[in-house]
Formats: sequence, structure tokens, C-alpha cells
Amino acid sequence: MRMSAGEKIFQACNTVFLILFSLTMLYPFVLMLAMSLNEGMDTAKGGIYLLPRAFTLFNYEVVLNNPFIKSAYLVTVGRTVIGTALSILVTALFAYGLSYRNVPFRRLITVYAIIPMLFNGGLVPFYLQLKSLHLLNTFWVFVIPYMFNIWNMFVMYRFFRSTPEELREAAEIDGANPLQILFRIIFPVSLPMLAALSLFTAVGHWNDWFAGAFFVTDNQLVPVQTYLQKMLSIDRLEMIPGGAGAEDMYPESKWSDVTLIAVKMATVMVGTLPILFVYPFLQKYFVKGIMIGSLKE
Amino acid sequence: MMFPGIALLFLFNYMPMIGLQIAFRDFQLGSTMWTSPWVGFQNFEFLSNPEFWKVVRNTIAIAFWKFFFGFPAPIVLALLLNEIRVRAFKRLVQSVSYLPHFVSWIIIAYMLEALLSPYDGVVNRLIGVFGGEPIFFLGDTDWFRPIVVISAIWKEIGWNSIIYLAAISTLNPHLYEAAYIDGAGKWAQLVHITLPGLVPTISILLILGIPGLLNAGFDQIYPLMNPANLPVSDVLDTYILRNGLQQGYYSMATAIGFLSSAIGMLLVLMTNYWIRKMNGESLW
Repeated sequence: MRMSAGEKIFQACNTVFLILFSLTMLYPFVLMLAMSLNEGMDTAKGGIYLLPRAFTLFNYEVVLNNPFIKSAYLVTVGRTVIGTALSILVTALFAYGLSYRNVPFRRLITVYAIIPMLFNGGLVPFYLQLKSLHLLNTFWVFVIPYMFNIWNMFVMYRFFRSTPEELREAAEIDGANPLQILFRIIFPVSLPMLAALSLFTAVGHWNDWFAGAFFVTDNQLVPVQTYLQKMLSIDRLEMIPGGAGAEDMYPESKWSDVTLIAVKMATVMVGTLPILFVYPFLQKYFVKGIMIGSLKE
Repeated sequence: MMFPGIALLFLFNYMPMIGLQIAFRDFQLGSTMWTSPWVGFQNFEFLSNPEFWKVVRNTIAIAFWKFFFGFPAPIVLALLLNEIRVRAFKRLVQSVSYLPHFVSWIIIAYMLEALLSPYDGVVNRLIGVFGGEPIFFLGDTDWFRPIVVISAIWKEIGWNSIIYLAAISTLNPHLYEAAYIDGAGKWAQLVHITLPGLVPTISILLILGIPGLLNAGFDQIYPLMNPANLPVSDVLDTYILRNGLQQGYYSMATAIGFLSSAIGMLLVLMTNYWIRKMNGESLW
């Protein structure tokens, strides 16, 4: 099909537009990176839009020496790994159980799972429940309440149901019990779906800042995103939690070049770079995952 | 096998639902929900508080504008991406476009500070270059809503376009060929083939999206709140948080949450009913 003049113009404009669009998606990251790698006092003079001018790694030094960053990473990685593994396990068990046609009370259980999707008690009752279960201010407050994910459960359920009945029957004849069937047969077959859901769950854990801000008071239990959130509202360098004493660690001249926003930018890069590194490798799994969730209509 | 799931749902979803009764009791820390005195609708007095209605107005305004611009935006992006002939370029743009989805709102708050800060921000520096005065965007009640809407679109437009692109790819190419032969130009093809083909997808996403009208996006808004923009940035969820968890008005906050959850559910059921009547699509 030969393109008319109008179509050619459209193609050109569209292409330019999409290039600009892509740059808009990337620019804020580039800006923050540049500001984090630039001497604070130099940035304050203006003109840092794309590349650092007075390159320095000092801002990162300040950030990485902060004692709370290390514990924050421990908490974040811990909750992401443990939280995701447990969540997928528990949710899959439920979905698998539900996928058996002769399970007693099947309809009731399904309704039982759907209702919380439509209606919930809200923040205060949830918080009070956490309190009465003594989960507040523990690591497990990041894991246990989120172990059962209703949405994921339905995705898994539909997928498990679509696996051939003959596979299960054959295994049963060979004497396998339901758990063995789940782990030896169903899981391997469902790997792409499980991988995608695991990734979504992991990203959810990594990015969650709310639980750490309101369900925990111990600074050592604060995950990275919550640490970042607390840093947002700081408007003086001295107020950085854990950082105040650090001034003594650095020679006077270096410290005087530091501005608050430079340290903030370095902090946020420390919190973002892991996702940015991992993203190109994992992004095709994310896309597959969204398709799995929707195509089984 | 299903026991852990059942137990978890009970503990963290159903028990809090039972906890909703606090909305009808005078709950104080130290007593349990069963021993607090019953006070009927007394906790619902917030309905006569003008500050509450201002918060409701803020919530609906933000949610509405986010939906109004944010719902069509990914559709438009999908349509534009669909026209790209060079597959590598298309895939590159797509990958870049979903990157913001994976970054937390806290990080976006930092980005906004880097871009919009009155002294250090890039935008204000540019304004200065052209001779203008710096605008304190994040503290300006007129700018807050646009910033919220624009950053929400920036974050989700790529990710939300995935599903539309997938739907477009399932449309029958023969339809387009036949239309071309009949003399239909690009615009006609769009209006008569592509858009009708997208109606089922749009319907389901509408059903999922409309109940969000009471949800202005706490995760996005809370990090951006400051005393200067409070008149427009205080939304239902931040109001509940402040009054409930922080100031200890547990009963009132629960009552507000209860109402808002109930209305949300009503919206889902109503929207699902209407759309099912119109074209048979339904959530269940």
C-alpha cells in the first residue's frame, strides 16, 4: 500500500511525537541522576538540566554512610523476598483447592473470597486489628496481612482450571496426593503465570511505603520507600534521621558544598536504581503477566 | 489446603469488617469494640461539618479530573502506537512508556521536587531565563490539581495502554482491508472499525474505573501534601488517616471509611448493571 502525502505527514508527526513522549518518560530520571552526581552548591547556581557539571560522588557517600539506609534495604529486600514467596504459596494453595470441582462449600468459599474485593472495613479497623494481633512494629506486619491476594487468587484459579483434567487424574491413579500434584505437575505447567504474578507482588512489596510509615515506629524497621518518604518533608540537612552526627565524619570543606536537595537526589537514586537496573530484563514478563490476567475471559 | 487463605481473609478482611461497628460506638483505646458504649449515628455528625464536605469536594474533583483525562489518554497512546510500522521502534517506545509504572509515588514526589521546586527546580529556572517569577507549584492551590493529574497520567499511560494495544491486535485485519478497498480513509477506519472493536475492553475498564471516583489516590497525594496546598490536597483518605490514626478519633474515622466503602460498592454494582444493560459486558 503506497502512502498518500497526508499519511506520510501523519507518520512523520506521529514518530516525532512518540520520540518526544519517550524522552518525557526518561527525563525526570536523568535529571535526578545529574543532580545527585553534582556538587550541591554548584547545582544551586542553576543550569543543571541534563549532565552534572561539578561531578562528585560525595552526595552518595553521605547517603550510604547513613545507618538507616542499610537497615532499610534489609527490611525492603527481606519483605520483598519473604513476602512474595509466602504470598504466592498461600494464594496458590487456595486457588488450587478451589479448582477441584468436588470441594465442599465451593460456592460459599468463592463468595467469601469475592466480598472483600467489593467492600472493606477501612483503615482504622484494619489498624486496630493489626494492633490486637500484636503485629504493629514488627517485621511481620509487612508480610502477614498481605499474604493472601484475592486478585492473584482468581488469576491462578482460572489458570489452574484450564489445565487438563487428565493430568491430575493420571497422577491420582499413580497414587499422588493433592499437594504432590500441585507441586510436581501444576506448578511447572503454570510457571509463566506464577512468574508474572510473583513479579507484580514483588514490585508491590518493594514500592510500598505506607505500612512502614504508619504501622511501625522503630526506625530500624523502616523500609527504603518509607525512609524516602520521611526524607521528603525534611527541609534542613541537620534533620536527616541518622545523618546528623555524620558531619563529624567529613572534612569541613567537603561538607560545606553539600545542599539538602543534592543529598535528597542521591537518596532517591539509591532507592530507585535497583528497579531501573532490573527493569529491562524483567519487563517482558510484566507484559505477559498483564495479558494472562485479562485474556482468560 | 485452603485453610491458610481462609484464615487470612478472616483475620485481615472480615475481622476489620466486624470492626466497622466502631462507627456506631464510642470507641476509646483501652477498651475493646465489644465493650465500647453504643451511640448509634452520633459518630456520623461529620456529615454536618463543612470541613468534611470540602474534603469530599477535593476528593471527587481530583478523582474526576484524573479519570476524565487519564481514561482516554492510554487509548490515544495505543492508537498512535498501533500506527507505527517499525516494530523495533514501537517496542522501544512501549518499554520506555511503562517504566514510570514501576516506580513508587514517593520517587515521583522527588521528581516533582527536582522539577518544580521554587529555588532549585528546572521549570522555575527556565521561567527565570524567560524573565518570569518563580512559581511555587507544589504550594499553589491552583496548580496542585493539574500537577496531580499530569503526574498520574505520566505514570500510568504506558502501562494502561498495554491492554488496549492487545485488544487492537485481536481485531480482524480483513475488516481493515475491506474498508480500504471501499475507500475508507484512516479516520473512517478508526471510527468504524477500531473504536467499536475496543468497546468491550473499554466497558470492562470503565466498570473497574468508575468506582474509583471516591479514591483520589492516597499514595500519590500524601507525599505531596504540605500546609500551603492543604485546602485542595486534603482528600478523604488523608482526612481519615489524620483524624483516625493520628488524632485518635477512631470512631469518626471508621464512620467515614464505612460510608466511603459502602458508596464505592454501590458504584461498582450500579456501573456494572448499566453497562451490562447497554452491551452485555459485565464483571461477572
